Amino acid sequence: MTYSAEAFQNEFLALGATEVNAIVTVTSSGGTGGLRTSGATEIIIVDASGSMQAEGRIAAARQAAKAAVACLDDGVHFALVAGVGTAQQLFPAPGQLAVASAQTRSEATWAIDRLHASGGTAMGAWLLLAAQLFAQRPGDIAHAIMLTDGDNGEREGYLQSVLDSIAGKFTVDSRGVGTNWKVSELRKIADAMLGTVDIVARPADLTAAFEQMMTAAMGKTTADVQLKVWTPVNATVRFVKQVEPQVADLTGKRVADGARAGRYPLGAWGAESRDYHVCVDVPPGAAGDEMLAARISVVEGDTVHTQALVRAVWTDDAALSTRINRQVAHYTGQAELADTIQAGIEARKAGDDHTATIKFGRAAQLAHESGNKATSELLATVVDIEDAATGTVRLRRKVAAADEMALDTRSTKTVRVGRGQ
Amino acid sequence: MTDCASCADERTAGAAFCEVCGQSLAPEPACPHCGTPGGVGDDGYCEHCGMLAGRERDHLETDCGEVAASVTDRGLRHHRNEDAMWLTTRGAEVDVVVSDGVSSSFDPDVASLTAVQAAGELLVSGDVSAAIQAAQVAVAELAASGDPRRQASNPACTIVAATVRGDAVTVGWIGDSRAYWVPDVGPAEQLTEDDSWATHVIALGADPEQAMRDPKAHAITAWLGADAGKITPRTGEFVVGDPGHLVLCSDGLWNYLTDAAAFAAAVREGLREQGTLISAARWLADYANTAGGADNITVALIPVSPAAAS
Repeated sequence: MTYSAEAFQNEFLALGATEVNAIVTVTSSGGTGGLRTSGATEIIIVDASGSMQAEGRIAAARQAAKAAVACLDDGVHFALVAGVGTAQQLFPAPGQLAVASAQTRSEATWAIDRLHASGGTAMGAWLLLAAQLFAQRPGDIAHAIMLTDGDNGEREGYLQSVLDSIAGKFTVDSRGVGTNWKVSELRKIADAMLGTVDIVARPADLTAAFEQMMTAAMGKTTADVQLKVWTPVNATVRFVKQVEPQVADLTGKRVADGARAGRYPLGAWGAESRDYHVCVDVPPGAAGDEMLAARISVVEGDTVHTQALVRAVWTDDAALSTRINRQVAHYTGQAELADTIQAGIEARKAGDDHTATIKFGRAAQLAHESGNKATSELLATVVDIEDAATGTVRLRRKVAAADEMALDTRSTKTVRVGRGQ
Repeated sequence: MTDCASCADERTAGAAFCEVCGQSLAPEPACPHCGTPGGVGDDGYCEHCGMLAGRERDHLETDCGEVAASVTDRGLRHHRNEDAMWLTTRGAEVDVVVSDGVSSSFDPDVASLTAVQAAGELLVSGDVSAAIQAAQVAVAELAASGDPRRQASNPACTIVAATVRGDAVTVGWIGDSRAYWVPDVGPAEQLTEDDSWATHVIALGADPEQAMRDPKAHAITAWLGADAGKITPRTGEFVVGDPGHLVLCSDGLWNYLTDAAAFAAAVREGLREQGTLISAARWLADYANTAGGADNITVALIPVSPAAAS
C-alpha cells in the first residue's frame, strides 16, 4: 500500500494572525482486498431483543446476517453474536473465532437460523464480548457490524464506560432498523469506534446494508493507520477533523508522541481517499517570516508513509492574506452543515420551531452552496425549501420519524470539492 | 585531534571536512531564529520553533570581477526571494537579465527563474527582443504544468534584459524592472519606461508625484505569463560616448530612489566607497534594506567604456 498526502491552504497570514487552517487529503493506493498486510477479524452482532419480532425484523436480520457471512473472504476470522440482555455467542463455540471457508460459512448460516428474538438490549455487553473475541487476534483489521432496533437497556453510563475501555481497539459500523432506536446512542458508538451510523428504515433493506458494510470491510488492507501532527513550540492544535467522506472530530483522540507531536487514529484503510481539516494556533510572526505550522505524517507504527507540510507565511500584502482557500472554505461549510442540521433537529424536538426554522434554513443554504445534493434531498423531507439560495424554509407539519432520523444520521456525510484553486 | 562523527577517522583540528569520508565536520547549523543548536531539519524548518531557516535564493551574488557583478536579496518583508537574475560574461561581452515575480500570481519565484534562464541562454545571439519572447513562451508554459493552482493564477513576472558588446548596449523590457545608464559624470538616464499604471497616467498628463503615491502606482500593465497575451517587448540601443555603468534592477531598489539623479548618486556612492563591483552591488542591496527592504532587491552593475578609450 502506498500513501500520499497533500495539504491545501492559504499559507499567507495577515500580520498578527495566528490561526492556520489546512485541508490534508490522504490517498492510499496499490492494495486490494486480497493483499492484506495483516489478518482480519469480523464480528457480526445482531440485536435479538423481543422487539425484533415486529415487522418481520428478525427474519430480515437473519437474512442480512447470512448475506454478510457470504461476503467473508476465505481466511478471515469471524464470529456471530446474538444481542439480548447479555451477549450470547451464536457462532462458533463460545469464546472462539471461526476461520472463513465454504464449510464454516455454511455452518454459520445454519447457526443463524437458530436466532430468535426474545430478551433485552445491552449494547455495552455486546461490544465487550466483541472486544474479548478481537483480543485473540492482536494486529488484525478488527471490524464489527452491530444491528439494533431499540434503546440500550443498560444502566446509565455503562455503555460510555465500555466505550472508554475499548475505543481504538476495533471499528464498529452501527445500523438501526425501524425508528425506535436513538440516533445519539449509535452516534456515540460510531464516534468512539471510528465507524459509521445509519438508519435502515425498512427491514427489507437490511441485506443490502449488511452487504455494503461487509464489502467495504473486506476492502480494508491495513489495520491501524494514524495521522501524526507535529507542531512547533508554543503552537497548539485547535482541532483535527475528518471532513470527507463524513465529518468526524478526532481532536479528543490525540495520543502524545514526544513533546511536540500527537497521533490521531484513522482506523483501517483500503484503497481510498479521505480529507482532514487541521487547525493550528501559532505564535504571530513578522512580515516575511515563514513557519512550519504543522508537519502531518501518515504513520503505521514506526513507519512514516508520507508527509505534508502546513505552512504559515506572514505578509503585509492584503491581496495574499485575504485569499480564500476553496478546500478550507468548503469543508468549514460542510462541518457547519452537519452541526446546523443536528441543532435544528434538537430544536424541533424541543418544540422551538423558531430556532429549528433558522437552523434548517441555514442548512438548506449550505447544502445548496456546496452542491451537497444528498443532504438537500434529506432536508426536503423535513422542511419545505422555498428558496435554497437565501435559506428560506418552512417546517413541515408532519415529518416521518424515519426521514428525520435519516437526516440526523446522514448529516455528517460530506461531498468533495473540485480540485484546482 | 578530533574524531570525525561520521567515520571515526582522526583529522587535524580546524579542518572543515573529514579527510577520509568527506563529511562536513562543521557542527549542525543552529536555527537563526531561536538559536536551537542543530535545530534545522531536513526540510529546512527548525524542529523547535518551526521557522524556515532560509532558502538558497534569499541572497545570491554573481561576481565577474571588473566586468560585471550582480546581487539579489530577499529584502526584509517578503518571505522568499521572487526576483531572479542572469549574468554571463565572455571576455568583455556581457549578457544580463533581471526578473521580478508578480507576487499575486502562483509560484512567481518559478516564473522569474524560468524567465531569466530562457532569456539568458538566448542573449548570446544579441537579439534582446527574441530572448524576451522566448522567456514569455517559457513562463506561459508554466501555467499548464505542476501545481493545478497555476492554471487559475498563472505564474507571472517582469523582465529587463541587456547585452553589452564593446561600446554598444541593447536593452529590452516588459513590466517595471528597470535599466539605467549612469555615466561617471553628468546626468543619468533611465533607459526603460515602466509598463505601470503610474507611468501610463503620467504620460496622459497626471501629476507625477500624486500618481506615484496612488495605491495603484505599481500595478503593472504588461508582464510575462500565460494571461499576458501577445507581448511586444520594448527595446532600446545606444553606443556609449563616455565611461559609465549600465545598471539593471528590480523595483525593490528603485522604489527607494525614484528619480534618476538620486539613483545615480547612490550608484556612484556605492562604487566610490566600495572599490569593487560586487561590493558596490551588495552595498546597493543593503541600501534598500536599510531603507525598509519592503520588496525583493536585485541589482546588476556593468561598466561600459567608449570604444576609443578601450
